[in-house]
Amino acid sequence: MSDTEGQKESEGQSEGQEMESKRAPSPVTDSPAETPLNAADVTPVNAADVTPVNATDVTPVNTTDVAPVRKTRKRPENKPLPEPKEEASEVSKKEDDSTKKSSEAAVAQGGWGYWGSWGKSIMSTASATVASVGQGISQAIEKAETSLGIPSPVDVSAQIMEEEKEAEEDRGEADGAPALGGAMGMLSSLSSVVQSTGKTVITGGLDALEFIGKKTMDVIAEGDPGFKKTKGLMITTSTLSQVLREAKEREEKQTAEEVSSDTEKKAHYGMLFDEYQGLSHLEALEILSRESEAKVKSVLTSMSGEELAQLKGELEQIKVPFSLVEFDEEEVEEKKDDGGTEFVKELSDVLAELHLSTSADKLGRSIKKAYDSISDMSRPAEGRKQDGEEPEEEVQARAEEVKPYTVEAIHSSAIRSLAQLTARSIEQFHKVAELVLHCESKETTALEQAKTLSQITVVLCREISLLSKKFTSCLTTVGSNEKGDVLNPLITGVFLEASNSASYIQDAFQLLLPVLEVSHIQRRADSTGQ
Amino acid sequence: MQRKPCVAQATILDRQSLQSRITSRSLQSRDSTYKTFKYSKQQRAKMATAPYNYSYIFKYIIIGDMGVGKSCLLHQFTEKKFMADCPHTIGVEFGTRIIEVSGQKIKLQIWDTAGQERFRAVTRSYYRGAAGALMVYDITRRSTYNHLSSWLTDARNLTNPNTVIILIGNKADLEAQRDVTYEEAKQFAEENGLLFLEASAKTGENVEDAFLEAAKKIYQNIQDGSLDLNAAESGVQHKPSAPQGGRLTSEPQPQREGCGC
Repeated sequence: MSDTEGQKESEGQSEGQEMESKRAPSPVTDSPAETPLNAADVTPVNAADVTPVNATDVTPVNTTDVAPVRKTRKRPENKPLPEPKEEASEVSKKEDDSTKKSSEAAVAQGGWGYWGSWGKSIMSTASATVASVGQGISQAIEKAETSLGIPSPVDVSAQIMEEEKEAEEDRGEADGAPALGGAMGMLSSLSSVVQSTGKTVITGGLDALEFIGKKTMDVIAEGDPGFKKTKGLMITTSTLSQVLREAKEREEKQTAEEVSSDTEKKAHYGMLFDEYQGLSHLEALEILSRESEAKVKSVLTSMSGEELAQLKGELEQIKVPFSLVEFDEEEVEEKKDDGGTEFVKELSDVLAELHLSTSADKLGRSIKKAYDSISDMSRPAEGRKQDGEEPEEEVQARAEEVKPYTVEAIHSSAIRSLAQLTARSIEQFHKVAELVLHCESKETTALEQAKTLSQITVVLCREISLLSKKFTSCLTTVGSNEKGDVLNPLITGVFLEASNSASYIQDAFQLLLPVLEVSHIQRRADSTGQ
Repeated sequence: MQRKPCVAQATILDRQSLQSRITSRSLQSRDSTYKTFKYSKQQRAKMATAPYNYSYIFKYIIIGDMGVGKSCLLHQFTEKKFMADCPHTIGVEFGTRIIEVSGQKIKLQIWDTAGQERFRAVTRSYYRGAAGALMVYDITRRSTYNHLSSWLTDARNLTNPNTVIILIGNKADLEAQRDVTYEEAKQFAEENGLLFLEASAKTGENVEDAFLEAAKKIYQNIQDGSLDLNAAESGVQHKPSAPQGGRLTSEPQPQREGCGC
């Protein structure tokens, strides 16, 4: 099983790489002046390129390197991501009326209902499994469409909005032919976008294609539990980390020559993560996870017939929240600069829903520290620029007012904060696992806890993302006089480690699944035993 | 999780192995990321001047009844401070410190387990692969001494035969309230082949020695070949390429994460 899993993943990997390489030899030539679409586009070339903080203004041409890859996937509606998947599985469950139901569902979920009818025609001629694939793909295309729509000029997007409204009206009446007209209008407006903005859209388009590829794999994975486990991770991280990694590799080669005493001081995420006991907690969490997995297996083998089927069904439900971890980076932008208090509050609230005696204190302190150092470093940005050595421990040095901060010091602080926050997050999950395993809590179910933990994962990853943006914006401000080849590796490094951080957190979250399964089995035994 | 021996790679490979164990997702890409780290010039430049460097990592566990002062012993050892009111440990907490035995730097990775009975099932999971175990009782509370045989059974059953167990009678500063004599504990230790010390987390007396004695014994076992480093559960990781010098310089300082508080 692990073999096939690995194989599939490596396929996914190569697919991702293929996408990456496809992007490189882009045939677009209409504006030769901007050629960052070839191989070089992954590397930030100048400082302006790597300011993803301002990247909201939809110019993926200049910002193909980092976050914008994901930015282009902006969704115009507040459609919750998990919905389509739930639908898909629902559809495959209820085979009898799958066609009807799924098209209805597709229509009901947002402004892109006409694709529901497209999916319908496929589904009517296909088996249930294929039907759900079709469904998934139609949703993927919706998303792809959405990403195509994003880089378009304002007026065109306004037009799209109009058509969307029309489509919505149509949908009110029936989900058949009238909507198709809306779809056609949509497509034509899209093609005009393609013509008018050329390269911009191609970039978005490649993203969209890449996205369809991934989405298709997701849908295929729907029927493959082993594969399912990892797909949430692939969606959220693989693309970004790949882009970041390539950028970083290139930069390291470039800067390898200029080894100075400054770079010697560079923070090393892995070591810091270990220093904050992140590895130890992860190691301990893994032990609990492995042992729980073995227990679940042995319980399952001791059962048979209806009893087994029932338990399997229940465990399957607990798995669902573990495959839906996705977080929308767009939301991150909306959050206010509140020094992390909102995050702590949100986290505490969600943690309380677990009904375990665990608190967000340690995490709260880490985040507070991180925000303190950010605000400290970005405060008197002017008149501070100096050359020379900087104290590594900015936090301690805070007392001394006029200490100038170099970009290296900010970078160090960023890496340290990310490592600490990640270590604390993993510690939090570890504590949850320990408490769940001995817990007699009757207030909640393992399924509820799974849902809550998935929410916690999203909250944590969002905070990581937010924090990395704050640090990079701080870097950009303070380092405005620095050369690109000094600043860019630092910024890329922060994003790379933020991406790694998010995947560690999500990995740690996945380790909780067997723990919750065991807990469910225990609770079940308790309740039937009485 | 099996830490890789070499220090530089300890961190780097740790992350690799860590990831490969969690999921094989995008393993290749990550591997190459770390390779870049490994072979970058900065890295090599740093290798030459490693201030923190160690040849071995020993995993320790601290076990014993609730309230005997396990976390305080650890805190005293890593921070050289006494923590007056330490909250109950949940599950396990960690501490690390680099010590020196026979000129060899050894990083102790200490798992401070919860003493509460309700966590017993969870903490048992953590015994595995410990090179050393500190079994702690409170000299002022006889019950904590009486429970030792149960702790010892767990320690014997769940660790490997070479695991060095040291018995610690804590709170030695509270002589007036003594409830367990030195002699009987000494005898118990001898009968069971344990090292033994009375210590005080409050005054710091013998705390350092408790950790060091166990480390010396483990090191001795390595030297005379009775501890097989290649055994998966030895609890010791060795850096084979020691003569090359440290591969990483900025090895973290002794940890400040002693207790959950």
